[in-house]
Amino acid sequence: MNAQALAYFAAGIGAGLTIIGGAAGIGRLAAAAMEGIARQPAAAGDIRGAMIVAAGLIEGVTFFALIVAMLLVLLK
Amino acid sequence: MSRLLWLLAAVEPAAAEGPAEEGHRPAEVLLHHVTDRALSRHFDYGPLHFEPTQHLVFFVIAAGLVLLMCRLALRSYQKGGVATGLAAAVETVVIFIRDEIAEKNIGHDGRIYTPLLCSFFFFILIAALVGLMPFSATSTGNISVTLGLAIVSFVAMQYAGIRKYGLLGHFKNLVPPGLPGWLLPIMIPVEILGMFTKPFALMVRLFANMLAGHMVITVLLMLIPLMAAINVAFGWAVIPVSLALALFIMLLELLVALIQAYIFTLLTAIFIGMFAHPAH
Repeated sequence: MNAQALAYFAAGIGAGLTIIGGAAGIGRLAAAAMEGIARQPAAAGDIRGAMIVAAGLIEGVTFFALIVAMLLVLLK
Repeated sequence: MSRLLWLLAAVEPAAAEGPAEEGHRPAEVLLHHVTDRALSRHFDYGPLHFEPTQHLVFFVIAAGLVLLMCRLALRSYQKGGVATGLAAAVETVVIFIRDEIAEKNIGHDGRIYTPLLCSFFFFILIAALVGLMPFSATSTGNISVTLGLAIVSFVAMQYAGIRKYGLLGHFKNLVPPGLPGWLLPIMIPVEILGMFTKPFALMVRLFANMLAGHMVITVLLMLIPLMAAINVAFGWAVIPVSLALALFIMLLELLVALIQAYIFTLLTAIFIGMFAHPAH
């Protein structure tokens, strides 16, 4: 395996791991938010707002990792 | 390495290759789609490049649209005093930003930051929406543009702290009072680093979000020629799937444009609030 093949390999694995992490984070977040809304439907608006912000933060970190993976491919 | 510089400085050498030659490799199509391109070479002075680039043009268009929208909205107040049509829509957003974002996160003196937060919100939203039009580019998908936005946000955070506590008090507030003395050599560098990582995270988040959506759409559409290269029948078969998925991501991008504008504005307000009301 030459360096380029290794870079592609690493990028693929890295993107996969990134998605696992992001999905786990957002999944837990959404589950907790749904539970909260189900328990207290009156607070649905506030919970949704807080959920979107937290989801954005998780997504932001995920994108850091995805950009690293992308650079591995694009830089060669 | 030069590719990294294109992506970061985001100016692709224009005369390097014509449109006929590029696009033979998927990665190059992808990169070509999201990087900036110089539109003319008339303003090069040695290492300095002042030429209009694609992102610059759409940056100015987005900024112009925001100004135009606000001017048009203002006219309704001059006529009657009751907001109608466009003005009512703009007013709703401005009031939401003032009451729900600025005052809730910065405090009762958060009102003075409303113009700044509104500028962030409308510019990021309009720039992302303009980027979804055919033949256009997303100027916020360029890290230089988001760096500029993040610098403004950084200055606003420091201004909030210095305005309230003075220059010395602002830096004293970085360390919570009552901290054991031996922790100071650790806490001071960490807090100063934290000062810079906040806008840095804002910068990368917006850049990556704007870049990623366009890349996904391009990849989905690129499936068609990639499949057709294997077998023409595969190419035809993948067209409906590819178009449907690309359309879905396109709709998702509408949502992302709103959410990212909201998050950038909200996080700026939260960070300003952190410097204006440090932990005691």
